[in-house]
Amino acid sequence: MAAESQSPSSVKKVVVHLRATGDAPILKQAKFKIPGTDKFAKVIDFLRRQLHRETLFVYVNSAFSPNPDELVIDLYNNFGFDGKLVVNYACSMAWG
Amino acid sequence: MEEAQKYVWEGAIPLQIHLHESEVTTLPTPPPALILAPRIGYLPLLIPQIKPHFSNALPPGSPDTVWFDYNGLPLKWYIPTGVLFDLLCAEPERPWNLTVHFRGYPSNILVPCEGEDSVKWSFINSLKEAAYIINGNCKNVMNMSQPDQVELWRSVLNGNLEAYVRISSKLRLGTVGDEYADGGGQGQVKTGRVPVRLYVWSVSEDFDDLEDAPQIDSWDKISYINRPVEIHGEEGNYFTLQDAVKSILPEYFPNKSSTKEESSRDEDENEQTVPSEEGEKYLSENVDTCYPSDNVEIKLVRIQGIEPKMDIPFSWVVKNLTNPEHYLHICVCLKVPQVL
Repeated sequence: MAAESQSPSSVKKVVVHLRATGDAPILKQAKFKIPGTDKFAKVIDFLRRQLHRETLFVYVNSAFSPNPDELVIDLYNNFGFDGKLVVNYACSMAWG
Repeated sequence: MEEAQKYVWEGAIPLQIHLHESEVTTLPTPPPALILAPRIGYLPLLIPQIKPHFSNALPPGSPDTVWFDYNGLPLKWYIPTGVLFDLLCAEPERPWNLTVHFRGYPSNILVPCEGEDSVKWSFINSLKEAAYIINGNCKNVMNMSQPDQVELWRSVLNGNLEAYVRISSKLRLGTVGDEYADGGGQGQVKTGRVPVRLYVWSVSEDFDDLEDAPQIDSWDKISYINRPVEIHGEEGNYFTLQDAVKSILPEYFPNKSSTKEESSRDEDENEQTVPSEEGEKYLSENVDTCYPSDNVEIKLVRIQGIEPKMDIPFSWVVKNLTNPEHYLHICVCLKVPQVL
Protein backbone atom coordinates (compact mmCIF):
# COMPACT_ATOMS: atom_id res chain seq x y z
CA MET A 1 0.00 0.00 0.00
CA ALA A 2 2.72 2.46 0.92
CA ALA A 3 5.29 2.90 -1.78
CA GLU A 4 3.61 1.76 -4.93
CA SER A 5 0.35 3.62 -4.44
CA GLN A 6 1.95 7.03 -4.09
CA SER A 7 3.42 9.13 -6.78
CA PRO A 8 7.14 9.76 -6.21
CA SER A 9 6.59 13.46 -5.60
CA SER A 10 4.31 12.82 -2.65
CA VAL A 11 6.81 10.65 -0.79
CA LYS A 12 7.86 12.62 2.22
CA LYS A 13 11.55 12.79 2.92
CA VAL A 14 12.77 12.58 6.47
CA VAL A 15 15.85 14.34 7.77
CA VAL A 16 17.97 11.96 9.81
CA HIS A 17 20.65 13.20 12.21
CA LEU A 18 23.36 10.67 12.98
CA ARG A 19 25.09 10.92 16.32
CA ALA A 20 28.03 8.83 17.42
CA THR A 21 27.92 7.35 20.89
CA GLY A 22 30.79 6.02 22.96
CA ASP A 23 33.88 5.28 20.89
CA ALA A 24 32.05 5.13 17.56
CA PRO A 25 33.72 7.28 14.89
CA ILE A 26 31.99 10.51 13.88
CA LEU A 27 30.81 10.61 10.29
CA LYS A 28 31.65 13.45 7.94
CA GLN A 29 28.08 13.58 6.79
CA ALA A 30 25.97 13.47 9.90
CA LYS A 31 22.72 14.62 8.27
CA PHE A 32 20.90 13.12 5.38
CA LYS A 33 17.48 12.90 3.80
CA ILE A 34 15.80 9.60 3.24
CA PRO A 35 12.38 8.73 1.78
CA GLY A 36 9.88 8.10 4.56
CA THR A 37 8.76 4.94 2.82
CA ASP A 38 12.19 3.37 3.40
CA LYS A 39 12.65 0.92 6.20
CA PHE A 40 14.88 1.66 9.16
CA ALA A 41 17.09 -1.17 7.81
CA LYS A 42 18.28 1.33 5.17
CA VAL A 43 19.66 3.58 7.89
CA ILE A 44 21.41 0.66 9.57
CA ASP A 45 22.87 -0.50 6.24
CA PHE A 46 24.10 2.99 5.47
CA LEU A 47 25.87 3.16 8.82
CA ARG A 48 27.38 -0.30 8.40
CA ARG A 49 28.81 0.65 5.03
CA GLN A 50 30.12 3.99 6.23
CA LEU A 51 31.75 2.54 9.31
CA HIS A 52 32.80 -0.79 7.76
CA ARG A 53 31.40 -2.68 10.70
CA GLU A 54 29.16 -5.70 10.81
CA THR A 55 28.12 -5.24 14.41
CA LEU A 56 26.55 -1.95 15.19
CA PHE A 57 23.98 -0.80 17.71
CA VAL A 58 21.58 1.75 16.34
CA TYR A 59 19.11 3.68 18.48
CA VAL A 60 16.48 6.37 18.22
CA ASN A 61 16.67 9.28 20.69
CA SER A 62 19.32 7.51 22.78
CA ALA A 63 16.56 5.28 23.97
CA PHE A 64 15.64 2.18 22.01
CA SER A 65 16.54 0.20 18.95
CA PRO A 66 13.61 0.01 16.52
CA ASN A 67 13.15 -3.11 14.52
CA PRO A 68 14.64 -2.83 11.03
CA ASP A 69 11.30 -3.26 9.25
CA GLU A 70 9.78 -0.13 10.73
CA LEU A 71 9.21 2.65 8.25
CA VAL A 72 11.30 5.79 8.66
CA ILE A 73 8.16 7.93 8.37
CA ASP A 74 6.50 6.11 11.28
CA LEU A 75 9.61 6.59 13.41
CA TYR A 76 9.73 10.25 12.46
CA ASN A 77 6.06 10.81 13.26
CA ASN A 78 6.29 8.95 16.56
CA PHE A 79 9.70 10.00 17.83
CA GLY A 80 11.00 12.85 15.70
CA PHE A 81 11.24 16.42 16.90
CA ASP A 82 12.37 19.75 15.47
CA GLY A 83 11.83 18.35 12.00
CA LYS A 84 14.33 15.53 12.30
CA LEU A 85 14.81 11.98 13.47
CA VAL A 86 17.80 11.53 15.78
CA VAL A 87 19.63 8.24 15.30
CA ASN A 88 22.47 7.27 17.63
CA TYR A 89 24.97 4.58 16.77
CA ALA A 90 27.50 2.76 18.86
CA CYS A 91 29.99 -0.02 18.31
CA SER A 92 29.10 -1.67 21.57
CA MET A 93 25.79 -1.90 23.34
CA ALA A 94 24.96 1.53 24.72
CA TRP A 95 21.43 1.27 26.04
CA GLY A 96 20.47 -2.32 26.86
CA MET B 1 -6.21 -9.56 36.29
CA GLU B 2 -8.64 -9.81 33.46
CA GLU B 3 -9.95 -13.13 32.30
CA ALA B 4 -9.42 -12.36 28.64
CA GLN B 5 -5.79 -11.51 29.35
CA LYS B 6 -5.41 -14.92 30.97
CA TYR B 7 -6.77 -16.58 27.83
CA VAL B 8 -4.30 -14.64 25.72
CA TRP B 9 -1.39 -15.77 27.90
CA GLU B 10 -2.52 -19.38 27.84
CA GLY B 11 -3.25 -19.28 24.12
CA ALA B 12 -1.12 -21.61 22.02
CA ILE B 13 -0.96 -22.79 18.45
CA PRO B 14 -0.38 -26.46 17.69
CA LEU B 15 2.56 -26.64 15.30
CA GLN B 16 3.56 -29.54 13.10
CA ILE B 17 7.13 -28.85 12.13
CA HIS B 18 8.73 -30.60 9.18
CA LEU B 19 12.41 -30.73 8.38
CA HIS B 20 13.05 -29.22 4.97
CA GLU B 21 13.57 -31.98 2.42
CA SER B 22 16.95 -30.67 1.33
CA GLU B 23 18.28 -31.22 4.83
CA VAL B 24 17.04 -34.77 5.29
CA THR B 25 19.94 -37.21 5.19
CA THR B 26 18.30 -40.28 6.69
CA LEU B 27 15.71 -42.78 5.58
CA PRO B 28 12.97 -42.87 6.52
CA THR B 29 12.40 -39.13 6.74
CA PRO B 30 12.13 -38.07 10.40
CA PRO B 31 8.53 -37.59 11.53
CA PRO B 32 7.41 -34.00 12.06
CA ALA B 33 7.80 -32.46 15.50
CA LEU B 34 4.57 -31.57 17.27
CA ILE B 35 4.79 -28.59 19.55
CA LEU B 36 2.38 -26.21 21.24
CA ALA B 37 3.69 -22.73 20.57
CA PRO B 38 2.54 -19.96 22.94
CA ARG B 39 0.81 -17.09 21.12
CA ILE B 40 2.83 -14.48 22.98
CA GLY B 41 6.07 -16.39 22.31
CA TYR B 42 8.54 -16.25 19.43
CA LEU B 43 9.61 -19.02 17.08
CA PRO B 44 13.35 -19.08 17.95
CA LEU B 45 12.42 -19.86 21.55
CA LEU B 46 11.16 -23.25 20.36
CA ILE B 47 14.50 -24.27 18.87
CA PRO B 48 15.82 -26.01 22.02
CA GLN B 49 12.79 -28.32 21.80
CA ILE B 50 12.98 -28.84 18.06
CA LYS B 51 16.69 -29.40 17.56
CA PRO B 52 16.99 -32.71 19.43
CA HIS B 53 14.06 -34.07 17.44
CA PHE B 54 15.91 -33.67 14.14
CA SER B 55 19.52 -33.88 15.26
CA ASN B 56 20.04 -37.40 13.90
CA ALA B 57 18.71 -36.56 10.46
CA LEU B 58 20.80 -33.45 9.87
CA PRO B 59 23.79 -33.41 7.56
CA PRO B 60 27.16 -33.20 9.33
CA GLY B 61 28.91 -29.89 9.80
CA SER B 62 28.19 -26.85 11.85
CA PRO B 63 24.59 -25.70 11.47
CA ASP B 64 23.56 -22.22 10.45
CA THR B 65 20.98 -20.10 12.24
CA VAL B 66 17.72 -22.01 12.51
CA TRP B 67 14.76 -20.50 10.66
CA PHE B 68 11.20 -21.38 9.71
CA ASP B 69 9.00 -21.01 6.67
CA TYR B 70 5.29 -21.39 5.96
CA ASN B 71 4.51 -22.41 2.38
CA GLY B 72 7.90 -21.07 1.35
CA LEU B 73 7.58 -17.70 3.13
CA PRO B 74 10.42 -17.22 5.66
CA LEU B 75 8.90 -16.27 8.99
CA LYS B 76 10.03 -13.10 10.73
CA TRP B 77 11.19 -14.19 14.13
CA TYR B 78 10.56 -10.94 15.98
CA ILE B 79 6.81 -11.11 15.27
CA PRO B 80 4.96 -12.97 18.05
CA THR B 81 3.97 -16.46 16.94
CA GLY B 82 0.27 -15.76 17.42
CA VAL B 83 0.46 -12.74 15.15
CA LEU B 84 2.23 -14.74 12.43
CA PHE B 85 -0.52 -17.33 12.59
CA ASP B 86 -3.34 -14.75 12.51
CA LEU B 87 -1.72 -12.96 9.61
CA LEU B 88 -0.59 -15.81 7.39
CA CYS B 89 -3.36 -18.33 8.01
CA ALA B 90 -6.53 -16.50 6.98
CA GLU B 91 -8.37 -19.78 7.42
CA PRO B 92 -6.75 -21.12 10.59
CA GLU B 93 -4.92 -24.37 9.91
CA ARG B 94 -4.52 -26.71 12.86
CA PRO B 95 -1.98 -28.03 13.30
CA TRP B 96 -0.09 -25.28 11.56
CA ASN B 97 2.41 -26.89 9.19
CA LEU B 98 5.75 -25.14 9.28
CA THR B 99 9.10 -26.11 7.85
CA VAL B 100 12.30 -25.79 9.83
CA HIS B 101 15.68 -25.13 8.24
CA PHE B 102 19.08 -25.57 9.85
CA ARG B 103 20.98 -23.99 6.95
CA GLY B 104 20.73 -21.39 4.23
CA TYR B 105 19.55 -18.52 6.43
CA PRO B 106 17.79 -16.04 4.10
CA SER B 107 19.55 -12.95 5.42
CA ASN B 108 18.12 -10.84 2.59
CA ILE B 109 14.68 -11.32 4.14
CA LEU B 110 15.27 -12.04 7.81
CA VAL B 111 17.15 -10.03 10.40
CA PRO B 112 20.05 -12.02 11.91
CA CYS B 113 19.05 -13.98 14.97
CA GLU B 114 21.23 -15.46 17.67
CA GLY B 115 18.59 -17.40 19.51
CA GLU B 116 17.08 -16.31 22.79
CA ASP B 117 19.43 -13.34 23.27
CA SER B 118 18.26 -11.72 20.05
CA VAL B 119 14.63 -12.32 20.90
CA LYS B 120 15.07 -10.85 24.35
CA TRP B 121 16.87 -7.81 22.90
CA SER B 122 14.06 -7.28 20.42
CA PHE B 123 11.42 -7.70 23.15
CA ILE B 124 13.04 -5.21 25.53
CA ASN B 125 13.51 -2.68 22.75
CA SER B 126 9.88 -3.00 21.69
CA LEU B 127 8.91 -2.49 25.31
CA LYS B 128 11.04 0.66 25.45
CA GLU B 129 9.52 1.88 22.19
CA ALA B 130 6.02 1.30 23.54
CA ALA B 131 6.91 3.10 26.78
CA TYR B 132 8.19 6.02 24.74
CA ILE B 133 4.86 6.25 22.94
CA ILE B 134 2.86 6.03 26.16
CA ASN B 135 4.94 8.30 28.40
CA GLY B 136 7.08 10.33 26.01
CA ASN B 137 10.20 8.65 27.35
CA CYS B 138 11.27 5.18 28.40
CA LYS B 139 13.09 5.96 31.61
CA ASN B 140 11.05 3.48 33.61
CA VAL B 141 12.16 0.61 31.39
CA MET B 142 15.75 1.83 31.16
CA ASN B 143 15.99 2.24 34.92
CA MET B 144 14.64 -1.22 35.58
CA SER B 145 16.93 -3.26 37.80
CA GLN B 146 18.74 -6.15 36.15
CA PRO B 147 16.93 -8.78 38.26
CA ASP B 148 13.57 -7.22 37.37
CA GLN B 149 14.43 -7.21 33.69
CA VAL B 150 15.44 -10.88 33.89
CA GLU B 151 12.28 -11.75 35.77
CA LEU B 152 10.09 -9.85 33.31
CA TRP B 153 11.65 -11.73 30.40
CA ARG B 154 11.33 -15.05 32.23
CA SER B 155 7.64 -14.39 32.87
CA VAL B 156 7.10 -14.02 29.13
CA LEU B 157 9.28 -17.03 28.38
CA ASN B 158 7.33 -19.19 30.82
CA GLY B 159 3.92 -17.65 30.25
CA ASN B 160 3.69 -16.65 33.90
CA LEU B 161 1.07 -13.92 33.92
CA GLU B 162 1.16 -13.31 37.68
CA ALA B 163 4.90 -12.67 37.69
CA TYR B 164 4.51 -10.50 34.61
CA VAL B 165 1.79 -8.34 36.20
CA ARG B 166 3.90 -7.97 39.36
CA ILE B 167 6.97 -6.70 37.52
CA SER B 168 5.34 -4.76 34.71
CA SER B 169 3.14 -2.78 37.09
CA LYS B 170 6.35 -1.12 38.30
CA LEU B 171 6.82 0.29 34.81
CA ARG B 172 3.70 2.44 35.13
CA LEU B 173 2.68 1.87 31.55
CA GLY B 174 -1.01 1.70 32.32
CA THR B 175 -2.80 3.08 29.33
CA VAL B 176 -6.36 4.00 28.70
CA GLY B 177 -7.42 0.43 29.25
CA ASP B 178 -7.02 0.85 32.98
CA GLU B 179 -9.27 3.86 33.02
CA TYR B 180 -11.98 1.80 31.46
CA ALA B 181 -11.63 -1.06 33.90
CA ASP B 182 -11.19 0.98 37.06
CA GLY B 183 -13.69 3.70 36.37
CA GLY B 184 -16.27 1.17 35.31
CA GLY B 185 -18.08 3.99 33.54
CA GLN B 186 -19.67 3.82 30.15
CA GLY B 187 -16.35 3.37 28.48
CA GLN B 188 -15.28 6.82 29.53
CA VAL B 189 -11.79 7.23 28.36
CA LYS B 190 -9.20 9.84 28.98
CA THR B 191 -6.82 11.01 26.36
CA GLY B 192 -3.98 8.64 25.67
CA ARG B 193 -1.68 7.08 23.13
CA VAL B 194 -1.77 3.37 22.47
CA PRO B 195 1.22 1.71 20.78
CA VAL B 196 -0.02 -0.30 17.81
CA ARG B 197 1.70 -2.46 15.25
CA LEU B 198 -0.55 -2.94 12.28
CA TYR B 199 -0.12 -5.61 9.61
CA VAL B 200 -2.19 -4.69 6.59
CA TRP B 201 -2.73 -6.83 3.54
CA SER B 202 -4.91 -5.68 0.73
CA VAL B 203 -6.96 -7.73 -1.66
CA SER B 204 -8.50 -6.45 -4.85
CA GLU B 205 -10.81 -9.39 -5.48
CA ASP B 206 -13.57 -10.05 -3.03
CA PHE B 207 -13.91 -13.42 -1.33
CA ASP B 208 -16.74 -14.82 0.72
CA ASP B 209 -14.90 -17.59 2.42
CA LEU B 210 -11.61 -17.23 4.23
CA GLU B 211 -10.50 -20.44 2.52
CA ASP B 212 -10.56 -18.52 -0.73
CA ALA B 213 -8.44 -15.68 0.58
CA PRO B 214 -5.28 -15.27 -1.45
CA GLN B 215 -2.14 -16.73 0.12
CA ILE B 216 0.42 -14.21 1.36
CA ASP B 217 3.56 -15.38 -0.40
CA SER B 218 5.78 -12.34 0.13
CA TRP B 219 6.37 -9.85 2.91
CA ASP B 220 6.09 -7.11 0.28
CA LYS B 221 2.36 -7.72 0.29
CA ILE B 222 2.11 -6.64 3.89
CA SER B 223 2.32 -3.06 5.06
CA TYR B 224 3.89 -2.95 8.47
CA ILE B 225 2.56 0.20 10.07
CA ASN B 226 3.57 1.55 13.44
CA ARG B 227 1.28 4.36 14.42
CA PRO B 228 -0.12 5.02 17.85
CA VAL B 229 -3.84 5.31 18.24
CA GLU B 230 -4.71 8.60 19.87
CA ILE B 231 -7.69 8.33 22.11
CA HIS B 232 -9.56 11.50 22.83
CA GLY B 233 -12.15 11.23 25.51
CA GLU B 234 -15.49 12.30 24.22
CA GLU B 235 -18.61 12.84 26.19
CA GLY B 236 -21.23 10.19 25.74
CA ASN B 237 -19.43 8.54 22.92
CA TYR B 238 -16.94 5.81 23.33
CA PHE B 239 -14.10 5.18 20.97
CA THR B 240 -14.59 1.90 19.13
CA LEU B 241 -12.21 -0.56 17.56
CA GLN B 242 -13.49 0.64 14.20
CA ASP B 243 -12.65 4.26 15.10
CA ALA B 244 -9.17 3.15 16.12
CA VAL B 245 -8.40 1.17 12.97
CA LYS B 246 -9.71 3.89 10.70
CA SER B 247 -7.85 6.60 12.59
CA ILE B 248 -4.48 5.03 11.86
CA LEU B 249 -5.24 4.36 8.20
CA PRO B 250 -5.99 7.90 7.00
CA GLU B 251 -4.81 6.94 3.48
CA TYR B 252 -7.84 4.70 3.21
CA PHE B 253 -10.26 6.34 5.58
CA PRO B 254 -9.80 10.09 5.38
CA ASN B 255 -11.37 11.64 8.40
CA LYS B 256 -11.68 15.26 9.28
CA SER B 257 -9.92 15.24 12.61
CA SER B 258 -7.16 12.80 11.75
CA THR B 259 -6.50 14.36 8.38
CA LYS B 260 -6.17 17.73 9.94
CA GLU B 261 -3.58 16.40 12.33
CA GLU B 262 -1.71 14.65 9.60
CA SER B 263 -1.71 17.64 7.34
CA SER B 264 -0.33 19.99 9.96
CA ARG B 265 2.39 17.53 10.86
CA ASP B 266 3.29 16.01 7.54
CA GLU B 267 3.25 19.01 5.30
CA ASP B 268 6.46 19.80 3.53
CA GLU B 269 8.35 22.70 4.99
CA ASN B 270 7.93 24.77 1.86
CA GLU B 271 4.17 24.45 1.94
CA GLN B 272 2.75 26.99 4.31
CA THR B 273 -0.37 25.96 6.11
CA VAL B 274 -3.25 28.34 5.80
CA PRO B 275 -4.59 28.66 9.31
CA SER B 276 -7.58 30.77 8.47
CA GLU B 277 -8.71 28.78 5.50
CA GLU B 278 -8.22 25.28 6.69
CA GLY B 279 -11.56 23.90 5.85
CA GLU B 280 -13.05 21.21 3.75
CA LYS B 281 -11.52 22.70 0.65
CA TYR B 282 -8.02 22.78 2.02
CA LEU B 283 -8.27 19.26 3.32
CA SER B 284 -9.66 17.74 0.19
CA GLU B 285 -6.86 19.26 -1.84
CA ASN B 286 -4.23 17.71 0.31
CA VAL B 287 -5.42 14.16 0.60
CA ASP B 288 -4.68 13.36 -3.01
CA THR B 289 -3.17 9.98 -2.17
CA CYS B 290 -6.31 8.88 -0.40
CA TYR B 291 -8.67 6.30 -1.69
CA PRO B 292 -12.31 7.15 -1.69
CA SER B 293 -13.37 5.67 1.59
CA ASP B 294 -16.59 4.25 0.15
CA ASN B 295 -14.62 1.81 -1.92
CA VAL B 296 -12.33 0.50 0.78
CA GLU B 297 -13.77 -2.18 2.93
CA ILE B 298 -12.34 -3.73 6.07
CA LYS B 299 -12.63 -7.44 5.30
CA LEU B 300 -11.06 -8.80 8.41
CA VAL B 301 -9.59 -7.58 11.67
CA ARG B 302 -7.92 -10.18 13.79
CA ILE B 303 -6.31 -9.67 17.20
CA GLN B 304 -5.02 -12.57 19.30
CA GLY B 305 -6.89 -15.04 17.10
CA ILE B 306 -10.20 -13.27 17.63
CA GLU B 307 -12.23 -11.34 15.10
CA PRO B 308 -13.77 -8.81 17.46
CA LYS B 309 -16.91 -6.87 16.66
CA MET B 310 -15.86 -3.52 15.30
CA ASP B 311 -18.11 -1.56 17.64
CA ILE B 312 -16.58 -2.76 20.92
CA PRO B 313 -14.73 -0.16 23.00
CA PHE B 314 -11.14 0.13 21.88
CA SER B 315 -10.09 0.50 25.51
CA TRP B 316 -11.34 -3.04 26.19
CA VAL B 317 -9.23 -4.31 23.31
CA VAL B 318 -6.17 -2.52 24.67
CA LYS B 319 -6.71 -3.73 28.19
CA ASN B 320 -7.17 -7.36 27.28
CA LEU B 321 -5.49 -8.14 23.99
CA THR B 322 -2.20 -6.27 24.19
CA ASN B 323 1.00 -8.30 23.99
CA PRO B 324 3.44 -8.27 26.93
CA GLU B 325 5.70 -5.69 25.29
CA HIS B 326 2.71 -3.31 25.49
CA TYR B 327 2.07 -3.30 21.76
CA LEU B 328 -1.31 -4.13 20.36
CA HIS B 329 -0.76 -6.18 17.20
CA ILE B 330 -3.65 -5.89 14.74
CA CYS B 331 -3.93 -7.87 11.51
CA VAL B 332 -6.13 -6.15 8.97
CA CYS B 333 -7.29 -7.30 5.56
CA LEU B 334 -8.59 -4.52 3.35
CA LYS B 335 -10.50 -4.86 0.14
CA VAL B 336 -9.16 -2.10 -2.04
CA PRO B 337 -10.25 -1.55 -5.61
CA GLN B 338 -7.30 -1.91 -7.95
CA VAL B 339 -5.57 1.43 -8.41
CA LEU B 340 -3.22 1.57 -11.33
